Amino acid sequence: MTFSRTPGLAAAGLAALVCASGALAEDITIGVATAQTGGLAPFDQPALLGFRMAIEEINAKGGLGGSYPAELIVKDTRSDTAQTVTVGQELIDAGAQVMITPCDADPSIAIGQMTQPLSIPAFTFCGTAPILPLAVGDAMFGSYPGDNLQAAAVADLAIAEGKKTVYLLTSPDSTYTANLPEYFGIVFEAKGGSVVGRGSYTMGQPDFSAEVTKIKALPEPPDLIMTAAYEPDFPAFLQQLRAAGVETPIYGADALNTPTIQGLGKLADGIVFTAAGYAAPGSKLEAFNRAFEDYAGHAPESTYEVNGYEIAMIIDEAVRQAGSTDPEAIRAAIAGLSDFPSVTGSITYAGTTGMPVRAIALMRYADGVAEYVDTITPDAADVPAP
Amino acid sequence: MILLQQLINAVSLGGVYALLALGLAIVFSIVGLINFAHGELMTISGYVLLASLAMGVPFAASVAVALAGAALAAVAMERIAFRPMRGADVTSLLLTSFAVSSLLKVVFQNGISARPQPVSMPGWMTSATAFGPVTLGHGPMLCIALSICALIGLELFLRYTTMGIAMRAAAADFDVVRLMGISAGRIIATAFLLSGLLAGLAAMLWLAQRASVDPLMGFTPVLKAFIATVIGGLGSLRGAVLGGFLLGVVEVLLQALLPSDILPYRDAIVLSAVIAVLMARPNGLIPAVNAQRS
Repeated sequence: MTFSRTPGLAAAGLAALVCASGALAEDITIGVATAQTGGLAPFDQPALLGFRMAIEEINAKGGLGGSYPAELIVKDTRSDTAQTVTVGQELIDAGAQVMITPCDADPSIAIGQMTQPLSIPAFTFCGTAPILPLAVGDAMFGSYPGDNLQAAAVADLAIAEGKKTVYLLTSPDSTYTANLPEYFGIVFEAKGGSVVGRGSYTMGQPDFSAEVTKIKALPEPPDLIMTAAYEPDFPAFLQQLRAAGVETPIYGADALNTPTIQGLGKLADGIVFTAAGYAAPGSKLEAFNRAFEDYAGHAPESTYEVNGYEIAMIIDEAVRQAGSTDPEAIRAAIAGLSDFPSVTGSITYAGTTGMPVRAIALMRYADGVAEYVDTITPDAADVPAP
Repeated sequence: MILLQQLINAVSLGGVYALLALGLAIVFSIVGLINFAHGELMTISGYVLLASLAMGVPFAASVAVALAGAALAAVAMERIAFRPMRGADVTSLLLTSFAVSSLLKVVFQNGISARPQPVSMPGWMTSATAFGPVTLGHGPMLCIALSICALIGLELFLRYTTMGIAMRAAAADFDVVRLMGISAGRIIATAFLLSGLLAGLAAMLWLAQRASVDPLMGFTPVLKAFIATVIGGLGSLRGAVLGGFLLGVVEVLLQALLPSDILPYRDAIVLSAVIAVLMARPNGLIPAVNAQRS
């Protein structure tokens, strides 16, 4: 269990625990069930930092919607689904009116099963599975671009670059690693490309040599390899692929937008990935990055920080529109948001099943630096159904 | 030709598993403990390598420092966690090692970083040389060569040095060894030292293939090593080596040969094979002389 390091917030959290009804009438309790340890920690930790920053700013201005101070109760799920369920129940018992769930579909669905019947709006920190809100219901929201949306954007870029053939590397171990490359395949084939092979790996697998040898033995080398593998599997795959002399470019998605992958230096050259936004000079995101550095003492590692920040802004706006602390009213307000001007661009929930419509920044590593390629909002007709 | 290539891949992975399994087996044969914190010794070794590279130490020296770090960490682990438990039953020892492992993982995550840290290995180690249709990765070849050297070195140590002979004797009957006036503490400390060295060596080979150190990286290898020691015969050093190579070879060949529809079931197939082996030979392929059963 991790309580806020800020004494005031910790005290508030404690008060919320003691008070069976949850919070005081004018406060809104936000239960934050996130992985601060375990495999999801590299994604949840930065998101939580951005989220905290926003909540502190919002509370300084009087609270959510300008009038309801937010109280955070933060608990560690240890990246373990059983522990996530326990933590989720504890937070509901503590009176959570809004819930934040980990950066992955599976634990988020586990908590969603408990929050949905109570109409408590739940946000996954950066879970991107488009099936997530469908599996839970109308009180579950994502904020990051969905896997199908990201895959469509990356496929658009690949087609625009004249790529014709792709090898898909998937892992059945998570919805993200299993589905995202397949969504890419659907869009890529619909636009004239072809899938020339498929490989599979187990998450945590030490050795990719057999997969690499298969790719090397393809009769024609593919134009690109698409995978949703992420660290620590992705660096292993990349290292072994390049060590075998295969120079095929690799396209991935948001999980490659991390300092670990960037830190691979020349090894990561040419890798295409997605981000929630690009900090162009003079943009809101650039201003956020500076403010974040003042707040946290270090620059944002990725766009997960700003994503956490944006979730708090979305909740703030929804509470303002709802004008109440009632979870159902907040939920309805989130679901009706349209063209909400956020840090990375505009975010729309109206007309969606819970995954937002928003633009996607495409990036590419070159010499250890992430270079901006393009910003794409895929045609709704091109985005594969979940 | 692809098969030959895959065979090299297989032996290379098997070599790493063999080193790890041997580290587990040395400690088990003497103390009766399966040290599930063995994987964390690898992680420590990786972080030490990273730290010393960051301080500008040349690569070769950094590797030596990382090996020493793992060996010292193993000895410290024995002194702090396992020595107070000496004489406790197998279950208590097992739980202690789980506790040490979990504790270290959380310390790494919260004290260092939850995020994997990239390690850049020298270019020659991560490149490959083509011989006709076969490409020999320098990493895998190094892996095979180093594991064979380490195995031979260990065999010589156990066969010809006093401490080595004492360790073999301790594995057969610890009480009699102590009656001969040999210090139990020293034998146990040496066993941990050796297991730490082997873990460090395995970590270096592992990193050469994986390019990053992360707080949880010890989990998979220790599990594989445990499977390898069980197939080989708990407490049997030769069995551990055989088990390690066998597991590596089976894993890679299945990955290479299974059609992609069945590929996700690879681990299930491997583990079913392990059960089959144990049903045929309950004490493992090469049982220890006086097998310690839990």
